[in-house]
Formats: sequence, structure tokens, C-alpha cells
Amino acid sequence: MTQDLVTVTIDGISIAVAKGTPIIEAAKQAGILVPHYCYHPSLPSPAVCRMCLVEVEKAPKLMPACVTAVAEGQVVHVNSDTAKKAREGVLEFLLINHPLDCPICDQAGECELQDYVFQEGRAGTRYREYAKRYSPVEDFGPDILYVPNRCILCTRCVRFMEDVADTPVLNVSERGDRAFIGISQDQRLDHPWAGNVVDLCPVGSLLSKDFLHKARAWDLDKSASVCPGCTQGCNVSLDTRDDVVVRIRPRPNLEVNRHFICDHGRMNYRWLNRGDRIEAPLVRNGGRHAATDWDTALARLEQLTRGASGKAVILASGRASTESLGLVRRMLDRFDVTAAVYVPLGEEAPLANVPNLALRRERAPNLHGAELLGYTPEWDLAVREAPGAALVVVLDVDLSEADEAALAGARGALVVLGTVFGEGLRNAELVLPVTNMAEENGTYVNRDRRIQRYHQAKSQPGMARPAWWVAGEVLAGSGPSPSAPSTAAEAFALLGERWPVFAGLTYTDLGFTGRILGEAPVGALAPSSGQGAR
Amino acid sequence: MAIGVKVMKRPERQVSYVRATLKGMVLTFKHMFEKKVTMQYPEEKSTDRDHGMGEWSISPRWRGTHRMLTDEQGRSKCVACGLCPQVCPANCIKLVPGEDEQGNRYPLIYEIDEFRCVFCGYCQEVCPEEAIHVGVHFENSEYSRDRFVYDLERLQSQTHAVSTLWDPTDPRGE
Repeated sequence: MTQDLVTVTIDGISIAVAKGTPIIEAAKQAGILVPHYCYHPSLPSPAVCRMCLVEVEKAPKLMPACVTAVAEGQVVHVNSDTAKKAREGVLEFLLINHPLDCPICDQAGECELQDYVFQEGRAGTRYREYAKRYSPVEDFGPDILYVPNRCILCTRCVRFMEDVADTPVLNVSERGDRAFIGISQDQRLDHPWAGNVVDLCPVGSLLSKDFLHKARAWDLDKSASVCPGCTQGCNVSLDTRDDVVVRIRPRPNLEVNRHFICDHGRMNYRWLNRGDRIEAPLVRNGGRHAATDWDTALARLEQLTRGASGKAVILASGRASTESLGLVRRMLDRFDVTAAVYVPLGEEAPLANVPNLALRRERAPNLHGAELLGYTPEWDLAVREAPGAALVVVLDVDLSEADEAALAGARGALVVLGTVFGEGLRNAELVLPVTNMAEENGTYVNRDRRIQRYHQAKSQPGMARPAWWVAGEVLAGSGPSPSAPSTAAEAFALLGERWPVFAGLTYTDLGFTGRILGEAPVGALAPSSGQGAR
Repeated sequence: MAIGVKVMKRPERQVSYVRATLKGMVLTFKHMFEKKVTMQYPEEKSTDRDHGMGEWSISPRWRGTHRMLTDEQGRSKCVACGLCPQVCPANCIKLVPGEDEQGNRYPLIYEIDEFRCVFCGYCQEVCPEEAIHVGVHFENSEYSRDRFVYDLERLQSQTHAVSTLWDPTDPRGE
């Protein structure tokens, strides 16, 4: 045992943890949940809720597990009769004024008060003399409602705004049973990261207006994903109900976003549910597009890519997966390729007291993955080259009217791999339906070169397929070929053959928190063709 | 004899049928003056305790087509909590929640497909607001199939008695 480890026994389980760890975290490592409200791993602990009281042998009283550091040889009882009785008492006090409106509360099903009362609370109340306190619902900010009746005053929201966001607009007003969460006069809870107080709230006191009444917690299917909002690459969970994404919530990754996501990422999900999707491959026949099957469409695409040579331009979305960007690039290897990735720009919005966490200016989740694969963010240059190219491939990007006008006069063939099809691309030779990021598995590379996986959350519309599948089929040649990738993992393995930075990596290597790619400078690995021309 | 065989004693000579006929007719006429046992459905109905036959009434625990109860203002008691679609084993309840002008949660869409329903009564049992009930009702014929998807308006306007899933004096069925 090294100097820094101490051994404690929690409910009979002996465990060695780092010195200074609070008991609550040591218990978590031992697989024991200490019920708690005010404690949160990303916030300072004030020990106000008294829910995490545990029995520590040789201590005169029960100790709050969130602020008591472990000590050598300590023996802790989380589920002893004394500790349970204390928790039952705390829950009874909380329920004096907490309304039993679970049927209409958005938090029901993921409410910590509901869970703990069900586990170890009293079945009935002993306080019948007075009616429950009542205060009306307050409007805190653009997306946040405050329901004072349900509040248990854990002060997580106050501490988030004060200590993490460094914008102290919330406070605890009044005292005793009149206490409530107040908002500073003339202030609004409109900080770009304010939405996190809704996730932090252990009960249904702080609600998201956007999600209000949309779904019950038990209706939701959750898929691990990566936020498509900016180059930060926050880990999120896409919550779907009946194949529709209804909200985005943060997923803890201590190395990227801790427990938080910004409001831009939180609200940026409606495009995933668009109903006006391309559902079948379209081949231009004379002046009209006719729907066809994949075999015909792939044969046509192969004809376009095999027969010709010369200049080719790829105009790709910054939301395309590494697999799609890589295989589409490989598909055109016999051309002289200029590949550009579209990066919308916005305001940078940092979260004050978390290092290296911000809503970034570059609102394209895979900008850095694209750069590794030889794409350039210099969009206008690529658009200017497009009219003269022998082949132009548009990969799921919403083009501006000026871009569409430039493409309308293109000399070569125009191939669109897209989710939606605008009128502006009427002269496209071939339109292939591809999936968006919620409908496929894939990876994004964030600004720290951390490559992270995201998982499919909803089903694909019609005949839509991931763009890497289309490119993989063309690469493998016509007919059923065993070398064409059939899963995203196989497509990812193909990247390593061409770009050494991905060599030897598999999906298993990326793990749950992603992996930082080798330290070689960005750009040195880019293929020379096309890039060298400028 | 191994098996018992009844040997009928037949008349050995010709006898008159008159006596037997009269005997039969006496039985027939006797039934004409006895209490009737047939219920004249649909003129008489078992749910109609006054004019129907009391002892034939269907049980108060009968689980038939649904009713949605309303409050004093005539609004449905439902708060769209989502428990009935969750508990429903036949997946026959469609519910979309919304919010009214006062900020109360209420069902925007509440539909029950009575063809899919298996009449288990779980929806009534799980309802925290005592809003949805199965009814003491069995006459459900319609002229088209789509009429069997009952919307909120129809569920509210029905007037038949609601089921008492258990005897209030003996809730555990002991």
C-alpha cells in the first residue's frame, strides 16, 4: 500500500481509496450508494441536506458522508439502523411541504426524492394540522421554470450559478419553512450554460420549458452520443420517445465536459427529427429525378467515379462522421481532390470555472476529424473550384443560395449524399439518401484530438444509409463483396489503411471516454493531392 | 352380463295414445302459467334493474368499455400522467399531454382502441386521479370499425355505470 491510499471498511466491504476522498465517493467505489441531495461530484459540498448521514464507528454522532474524508481503518455503516432512521427522518421532514403531484411532475421516474422515499421513507405523514405551503410557479429564464412547492433546498442550482458559472443570480431567500430559491432582482437565468440547473435539480423544482410535458421519464430511450453542436465534443445522451429525439442531456465525461452541456447543445436537436427527408436514391433521367434502388444508384455512382479523372471537389458537412468523411475521400482517390468542410461560426461561451470547457466558435463537431482526413475549412475556395471540377460531391450540407448558384453552372457531374434535398440542387446527377448523426454509429474528433464514439438513437428513414456505407460499397466494387464494410466499426478500421493516425485503432480501443489521437501535428498527415495545389 | 343393459319393457299389444297425449298437454299448459325464465332481450336488459330481471343483472365488477369521469366544470379528471398507457398490456391507450391556459396538465389526445383492449381494468386500478374507469356495459355494436377508437369526448359523454373493481367492504377478496 502506498502512502496516499487509506483502507476503509464500508458496510463490510474493505476498500483502499486515495487520502482525502469523501466517504460518499469511497462508498461509490465500493458499489454502495449513499442517498444524497446536495452533494454533486462537480460542485462544492455544503452538507445542507443531511441526507447522506452515515454511522462512523468511534464518532460521537452520524457524519455527513459528502464532507467527511476517509481515514485509515475507518469503519462506516451506511445501512445500519441508526443511519436508516436518520434518513427516514430527513425524508419525513422534506415531505411535510413537498406536494404529492408526481402524476403531473416532469421529474417523476427520475426523481431522487421519489426514489429514496420509495426505498426507505415512511408510508404516511404524521403532520396533518397544517396545509402544505403553496407558492406559484415562477419564470426564471428563457428555458427555466421554478416550482417552489417541490423545492427541497439542496442549493445545487445556487452553487452551480455561483461557483461553476460564476454568475451568482440565484440565492436562498427567506428562512426556515418559508425559504425558497430566489433570483436577483431584474435578473434572468439566461446564462448560456443555465440549462444545467434543470439536470442538477434532484426533484422537479427546476423544469425545462422546452421539455415540459413532452414525455415521461420511463417513455424515453437513451443513447450515448456526442453533442453535434461545436468542436468541444461534449458527451450527451439523446433521449428519444417513439423514434423522435425529445431532449439532449449531458453524459458525464470528466475529461471533456464533466457533467454539463451548454444550452446551445441542449436545444440543437430539432434538425435530427426533420420529416422532409430523402427516402430513396434519386437518379436524374433527362430533366427529372426518378426514385430507384440502391443497386442502380451505386452502379451509377461507380460509373461516375471510375470512368473519369481530373479535378474533384468534396463539399462536406462538419457534422459528418469520421468514417463517412474518410471513406468518401478514399472513394475519390483517383481524382485530384479539393475537400472542404463547412464550419458555421458563432459566439464562444465558456463555462467560467471549468477549465477547457466552452461552447466553441466553430460549430462543427468533426472539424478536427475532417482536418486529419485532408479536408480544409476554407469553404469558399472549394466552392470556387467546384464549377470547373469533373465531379462534385456534396455530403449532407445545407448550401447557401450563393453556393447553390455556383454549383448550378458546374461543368462536371454533381453527386449529393444528403438528408434533405433543396430545389437548388436540381441539376444533381445522383441524389443518395444518407443518415444523420442520430441514425448511425460513428465517431467525432474534438478540438483536443479526442476521438469519441456516438451511437444510433433512432431508426433511419426509408432507404437512407450511412455515407460510409455508400462509399464503402463503391470502393469494394460492384456486386456483393466481402471487403465492403457492413458496420461502422469495419468502416473505422478501413481509415487506418490510408491515414496512419488511425492505424491500429478499433472501436474497442476508444472506450467510453474516447481517446486522444497520436501527437503528430494536424495537417502533416493530410494527403498531398489537392492540398498541394494551393 | 358384464355391462348393464337396460331392457325396455315395451307394450305387448296395441294401446291408446290419448292418455299419453293428455299427459303431455297438461305439462305444456302448466308451463304457460308458470313464471317465465327467458329474458326478452333487447326489450328487457340485464343492466336495467327495474324492468329487467334482477337476479340476472351483470356484476358491478364487470369490466366493459371505458368511461372518463369529469370534474364539476365538466373537464376530464385526467392529468395525462401517462400511467395507463404504461400499464396497459394491450398497448391500446394513446395519450399526448398538454398544458391549458391555467398551466394545468391535461390530455391533448386521449384515445382508447376498444378492439385492442383486453378489459383487464389495470388502467382504472393505476389511475391516481380516478379518472379513467372500465364500465358496466357490454353493448358496443357500431356500423364501422373506426368508431371503436374512443376519443376523449366520447369517453366523457358515456353515462353507463363504472366498474367497482373490488368489493369496497372486502378489498382483498377474502
